[in-house]
Order: sequence, then C-alpha cells, then structure tokens
Amino acid sequence: MKRPRIGVFKFTSCDGCQLTILNMEEEFLELIDIIDISYFKEAIDRPLRGIFDISIVEGSITTNRQKEEIADIRERSRSLITIGACATSGGLQALRNWASLTSYKEYIYPAPDLVDALSTSTPVSDHIHVDYELWGCPVNREALSETIKSFLMGKKPTLPRYSLCMECKRKGIPCLLVSSSDPCLGPITKAGCGAICMIFGRACYGCFGPKDDANIESLMRWFKDLGFTQRDCIQLLDKMNSYAYRKVRLEQGH
Amino acid sequence: MNRVIKIDYLSRIEGESGVYIEIKDDSINVEMRVFEAPRFFESFLKGRPFQDAIDFTARICGICPVAYQMSSVHAIERIFGIQVDKPIRDLRRLMYCAEWISSHSLNVYMLHGPDFYGLESAWAGKEYLPILKKGLSFKRLGDEILTIIGGRAIHPVHIKVGGFFRAIDLNHLKGLIPSLQRAYEDSLKEIKWVSTLRFQRGYNEKVYVSLRHDEYPMNYGSVISNKGLNVSMEGFLGMIEERQMVYSTALHSKIKKDGDLQPYLLGPLARLNNNYMCLPDEIRDVIAASGINIPISGMDKGIIARVIEIAYALYESIKLIKGLDDINVLSKEVQLCSGSATWITEAPRGMLIHHYELDDTGKILNCRIIPPTSQNLAAMEMDIRHLVELNKNLDKTRLKGLISSLIRSFDPCISCSVHLLN
Repeated sequence: MKRPRIGVFKFTSCDGCQLTILNMEEEFLELIDIIDISYFKEAIDRPLRGIFDISIVEGSITTNRQKEEIADIRERSRSLITIGACATSGGLQALRNWASLTSYKEYIYPAPDLVDALSTSTPVSDHIHVDYELWGCPVNREALSETIKSFLMGKKPTLPRYSLCMECKRKGIPCLLVSSSDPCLGPITKAGCGAICMIFGRACYGCFGPKDDANIESLMRWFKDLGFTQRDCIQLLDKMNSYAYRKVRLEQGH
Repeated sequence: MNRVIKIDYLSRIEGESGVYIEIKDDSINVEMRVFEAPRFFESFLKGRPFQDAIDFTARICGICPVAYQMSSVHAIERIFGIQVDKPIRDLRRLMYCAEWISSHSLNVYMLHGPDFYGLESAWAGKEYLPILKKGLSFKRLGDEILTIIGGRAIHPVHIKVGGFFRAIDLNHLKGLIPSLQRAYEDSLKEIKWVSTLRFQRGYNEKVYVSLRHDEYPMNYGSVISNKGLNVSMEGFLGMIEERQMVYSTALHSKIKKDGDLQPYLLGPLARLNNNYMCLPDEIRDVIAASGINIPISGMDKGIIARVIEIAYALYESIKLIKGLDDINVLSKEVQLCSGSATWITEAPRGMLIHHYELDDTGKILNCRIIPPTSQNLAAMEMDIRHLVELNKNLDKTRLKGLISSLIRSFDPCISCSVHLLN
C-alpha cells in the first residue's frame, strides 16, 4: 500500500506546535514507518511538490504572500488540519487587529515601509476551508497524536469540546475562582491542557481558546464583582486566543 | 564573471529565511534574507501587566521559551529590587539546563547532524537511526524536567515574578536521577562521537561574547568577550547598534568600537570558549581525551560545543536535583514600583537581552527584546563569505550544501530574530 503523504507547513508562529510533532519521539519514529512526511521544512531538506493526503498547518495569516500560499496548500490537500492558537485563532499577534499597524511598525522598525505585513493576523479558517482545528498554545502532544492517527484512519478525532472546569473538577482541584477569587478563564475555555495551571495554583489564561457556547459575558460580570475593571477583563481575554474570544463575545451581542 | 548562489528557503532550521550570495571578481556579497513575518511583540506588550511579559515573550519561540521567561522575569525582579532565594535560583537554573538539553539535542541530532551523513532528514538513513534515537532520549529528559517544573515543555506556565506559582513535586524530580545519570554517561561518549565528524577547513577570527559568572553562565553574570570586553548587562546594551537591512525582517546588531561596527558571535561556541574553566574536571578530561582543543576554532564547530553543553547540562541537572530539599515558600512578595531594567540570560543560542520600563502600577511602558540570532546574523554572513571564498570553484549543488550546513551549525532561530526595536 502506498504510504499517505503528509505535509507540515508554517505561517506566522513560534514553531512550538510543529515542534510538538517531533516531540512525539518514539511515537514519531513509529509514525514515519507508516507515513511519508513529504514536506516539513524544519525537519527535511525537500522542495514542495505534489498532493498531500493530510496537511498540518501552524501559524496565522499575516502577509499578502501567505494568503496566496495557504490557498495553494489547500488545493494540494485532501485534508487540512490547523494546529495551535496562531493557526486556529490568529495567535498573540492578532492583538494587532485592535491597534494601528502603522504605529506597531514604527515602534520596531526604523524604515517601516520595507516591512510587508497585513493590518490583521487571522486564523487559517478565515481564508480557506479547514477540516479540523486543534487548539492550544501549544497543542497538547497526546491530542496531536490522536488527531493525526484519526485522520490516517479516515475518522474525525474525538477530543473534548467542554470546558476546562470539567478537567479541573475531575482532578479534584479546588476552584480558584471561588476559593481565591483569581480571575480564571476555565469556565469559558476548552479542556485539553490537563489543567496544568490550576495544579500549580494558577488561574487559567486561555491557551486553548473558547469552549463551545462559552458564556463569556457571565464570567466577565463575575470578574467585575471581584473588582476587575472593564479594561482588566478585556486584557484577560486578549491573549493567545484574543481573536476567538472576542468573536464569540460579539456573536453574543456584547 | 558574476555568479549568484541563492537558497530561497533554508530547511532544517527554525523559521523562514533564505540566503543570497553574489560572487564578483573582487568581492563576495552575502545576504541572510529573513522573510519570517514580524509579530510586533514589543508593540502589544505596551500597556500590559508585567506578568504578561513572561507569558507573552515565551511565545516568541517554541524552542527556547524558558530563555524568554528567564530574561523577562529577572529584568522585572530587578526593577522591584527582588533577589530570589537559593531554591528558586536553583530551580530556574535547572529549567535552563533542561531547555539547553532539549534545544541542543534538536539541533545536533535532528537538524544539523544529518548534514555530516549526507541525509535529507534525520530519518532518511538506516545508519543514522541509532544516532537519532540517542538524541531523542536526551531531548525527552529535558522535556520531562520542564514538564515537572513548568507543567509542559513548550511554554511552561509556572514562572512568575518573585518565584514560582507553587512548590513542585520533588519526588517526581528525584525519580529522574537514575535516567539522568545514564544519559550523562551516554553524553560523555557523544563528545567523542562529535569530535570524529568532518568539519570545514578555514577559520575566521571572531569576537566571542557571553556572560561570565562563578559558575557556567545561565541566569547571572557580566558580559565578557575573548577580546577583553568586561561590562555590566546595561553596559553591553549601550554598546551595540542595531540596523535594519532592506532584505530582512530581522535587524542586525554589531558592537560599536572606535567608530567602527564589529560583528560578534554568541552561543555555545562563545560560551564554551569563554567559560571552559567552569566545566567540571570529568567533562574537561573527556574533551581533552577526544582531542578537542579549547578554544575551539573553526567556523562550523558549534555542534561540538553543543554536545559538550548537553553533557554539562545533564551533569548540572543531577547536581541541582540532588541539592533540592523540601521547598515550601516558593515566591517572594512583590512590592510594585516604577523603573526600568535590563537583564541578559544565556539562551541556548546565546545572550538574550530584555529591557523593560514599568509604571508604578506594574504596567509595561516600554520594552526592548534583542534575541541572540539577530545578534549573530552579521557574524554568520561573515563566515558564509569566508566559506564561499575558500570553495568558490565547487559546483552550485555542493556549494549550496556546504552553505546550508554552515548556517545550521549556528542553530539560528529565525522566529526569534524578527522581534527587535531600534
């Protein structure tokens, strides 16, 4: 049987999610026996060629060149999966969406005109059809493995879409929001990280993005009752998944 | 006759860049063309609370997030006048050891190693698989230490200004000692292995810059060079000049000296050459027995220094973990005040400079981040020029191979390099 061709692509990002593929270690060594990683710039010296059975995309779309590239990759791909907060929700760099690009460029570059950058950082799904989105900043290694294997078997992965609170409760961690009045994004955030912050007594800061039907406004009211200002509340949402949280909020009419 | 050598997109390095070389009769022009899209970290950090500096800047790089957390946390602690206690110091040093192990193993075994065996990737040849597996076994240990201390290997969640969010599971860490011990013994053999690889001839005299401290430098020290430089962290920030190149989204930095601008090299080679005497005797013995001369000279020998640092980081991890006792209070009280500070730590790829200015509510007014790769770009271009000069009669394919390999020997981190401020 012909081994399925896999491509790994990078847009605007930190490389952490594609590194997670290499971090699968022994499992990765097993995978390369049954798949053909045909394109993966960070790991293989090979040009871009042909059609891919599965394309794995990291990073957000932030330049004109990338808009064309992502369309080309879609045309070459039977299935396309995005991995990480940048590819699924624009990433931290989407904070520019709520600011002036010119001032951002001028703050960093002496000759800002030389820099090609769109005024927005957007998720891949704003540009092309995406078959599956894997959330997280970075993505979880086990979830990534489950996702790749599911696609190889021709099925959709079964990853949780409920809130982080479920994961936290199951681990028996006392609720930080209730017990220490910490502004925890757990109630509106997808499970998947393993509640690693709460284990350390730290409030969730939203690496995995909004869960299905997140009631953001209700949580914001709670934060305000705890003494946080409107600006504080927005800043709590405006992190790696700022674009996704804001979108849900707008859709709910706030 | 003019000849052009162009690699549009370099493979097996972190990030997006290419290289453009023009060979003329009397000169060689080299441009490292970084086309990685900028992300404007310094811009969106303005107005944010200080903890965000730690969580946000980690996202500049998925390979060295701890380095970003270390430079930012120390800079901010300096503004607040916080000096952390020994357990916090040791745990942070342990995290750094772990990141060096993981990041160096990635370069040595997955990205750069295949060059010495003529392979397109680390899994393209059967004979290379045992080498790859060895590398993965080191990498896993680095990742495990970070997962225990920081919750996960990429973008750990546990570091805060004043210390850590909560005490960590010491038993879990102590349980790693036997595996670390075995890995350390293996890593000593790897020093012999790396010394047998075939390197390029030719050498460019270089300014090696690193921190120096009473231990092998990671989180503390003054800035020194092999040419007699010895200044404070702030002093060094005042000595460098950054320039924007038309062909790159990363700025280049050079040291200002006598009205001249001088390229300099950071990273494992510079660190090792400048701090060899801080290594334990048992590692120095293996280095000598492997026929490696210190200072290591040669353009593409970064991999040797990286393998030695993997051994040292394993040695140091074992020592640090053994020394850790029951830790209860893992954080110092923070007293907010306004001010500014610079801090430099030794990222896997060399000195990572952070500078912050805070207002009296702890909000960031200004910040400046100068990653090691952008500081190394000028020295890299210099070495590529030298390599091309020595090999300009080779055919294009072979020359391109040599150039790519030389660039990987610097272990550039391009995503990092695109976040600068002038």
